[in-house]
Amino acid sequence: MAKVLVVADIKQGVLKGSTAELLSKAKAIGAETAVVAIGSNIESLSSQLADAGSDTQYIADDQSLELFSAGPWASGIVDAANQFEANLIWFGFSESGKAVAPRVAAQLSCACATEITDVVLTGEQIEVVRPATANKVIQRIKVNTEKLVAVVRAGAFEASPDITGTKNVIALTPPEPDLKAVIKELISDASGEIDLADADIVISVGRGAKDQAGIDLVKDLADDLGAGFGSSRAMVDSGLMAHNKQVGQTGKIVAPTLYMAMGISGAIQHLAGMNGSKTILAVNKDPEAPIFNVADYGIVGDLFEVVPILKEEIQKLKS
Amino acid sequence: MKILTTVKKVVDVELNIHVEDGAIVEDGLQYVINAWDENAVEATVQLKENNGAQTTLVSIGGPDNTDIIRRCYAMGIEDAIHIDDPSLENADSYVYANVLQKVYEQGEYDLIITGKQAQDTDNGQTGIILAQSLGIPCVSNVVAMEVIDDQHVKVSRLGDAGTEIIELELPALVTVTDSINEPRLPAMRGIMMAKKKKINVMDLAGLGTSFEEVGGNDLKSEIAEYMTSETRQAGQKFEGDPAEITAQVVNLLATEAKAL
Repeated sequence: MAKVLVVADIKQGVLKGSTAELLSKAKAIGAETAVVAIGSNIESLSSQLADAGSDTQYIADDQSLELFSAGPWASGIVDAANQFEANLIWFGFSESGKAVAPRVAAQLSCACATEITDVVLTGEQIEVVRPATANKVIQRIKVNTEKLVAVVRAGAFEASPDITGTKNVIALTPPEPDLKAVIKELISDASGEIDLADADIVISVGRGAKDQAGIDLVKDLADDLGAGFGSSRAMVDSGLMAHNKQVGQTGKIVAPTLYMAMGISGAIQHLAGMNGSKTILAVNKDPEAPIFNVADYGIVGDLFEVVPILKEEIQKLKS
Repeated sequence: MKILTTVKKVVDVELNIHVEDGAIVEDGLQYVINAWDENAVEATVQLKENNGAQTTLVSIGGPDNTDIIRRCYAMGIEDAIHIDDPSLENADSYVYANVLQKVYEQGEYDLIITGKQAQDTDNGQTGIILAQSLGIPCVSNVVAMEVIDDQHVKVSRLGDAGTEIIELELPALVTVTDSINEPRLPAMRGIMMAKKKKINVMDLAGLGTSFEEVGGNDLKSEIAEYMTSETRQAGQKFEGDPAEITAQVVNLLATEAKAL
């Protein structure tokens, strides 16, 4: 029987939705499930971790684990994987997951796959499916090791509404800090902002917004809708938007219910970060912009004109 | 400080890629330097200019990797090692990491700089696995880097909760993202000089290892087949009076797409 260990995705003390999604998939393939959670003051999340669909919770809770550090995280996860005898170790899509997964795989001497969208078990044989080359192709990968460490692409698995778990907490010895890679400081993202990875609606701004006034206009719509606020690479390169807002092959990969691309032309690297969205709305002045090739709904127009009308029409709809 | 920088030649993702019978159709493809590796090269050359680092590049691939290596020379890299061995064609991340480990061990490097991932596989594993095998500290997704002293560098990493400022003890490995710099366009003089520079080309035997030793017979995973990516279809495009078409689209988002 497959044994799936899901690495809990905890951000600023909050358990993220990907954990339940991955556990739901694990249960759907008939696997035994466990989660591993690493951090400071996270003991209180154990019931939530069980409710998300895990039958065992491995928890390393220590003050020294307040700030993320790839080395100790990998050690803690390897410890849990060995205790649980996991053959599948899954991470939700996150920067920490991408940093830790290859380390865990190297320590377990097994295959590692990032951004998987599906996993298929045939007896002992594990196969995964994942997009590659900026989403231009799909790879089916045959895993030759008994174990697999994988990072699951955002939106690949759905959380089952009737998932249940059992609370069975096993405390892990806190891993030692990495003395050769010492985190000195964390410059936190502005608090209160909606996490792009979790948002039902993501609105991104591109070169068509021109300047700060344009950004503010689109941001206002995002705030109004409680939407995540993202960016094209061009706006990041010009210094108008922060690096952590970039949606694309190298930035955040999002798959919300509704994605609105405002003044974004649709470079291939940007499309790779958002074309898993359920519905895409694009607003662009250029009727030939490539973004219209992937948009379900396209409005050819200047965002400075369209965004205020959009805001008003949505408000009308909601009231 | 001695720096080893890795560079991969990858398919140009801007062009269309076709899949037939489980394989990528080679016809019409073009190959370019991996964009994030170009950022790694720029970061390396900046360390050379600002801190007097010695720079060596390593690239694994066929004979036609020469053009990207010369481009890196023109950007300011001093030495290059080209591992050209046809047996590595289907190598996985571990095999690449094992080959790079051999290169590293022969050079007494202080810092390895790689791009955060290769645009063809989008794996983002090789650098991290290499650091793990070498037992040296590693930071991925680096957006800024500065030298503190002979034994330490300070890097900024874009993490989930914000920007992490990390002090690394050398030797160490960093993987960089495209936000770290804007790669320079090589000047004509550099391009001319680069043509004359020697490239140290070797196969696995020349590197003092073998296909078996780097794990070539023991792939941890392999690509069974390629499939065509499901492309989204263009939907409805509206042109005309902004007030009218926007109202129409909002209505469709609510009733047809049920997205609002």
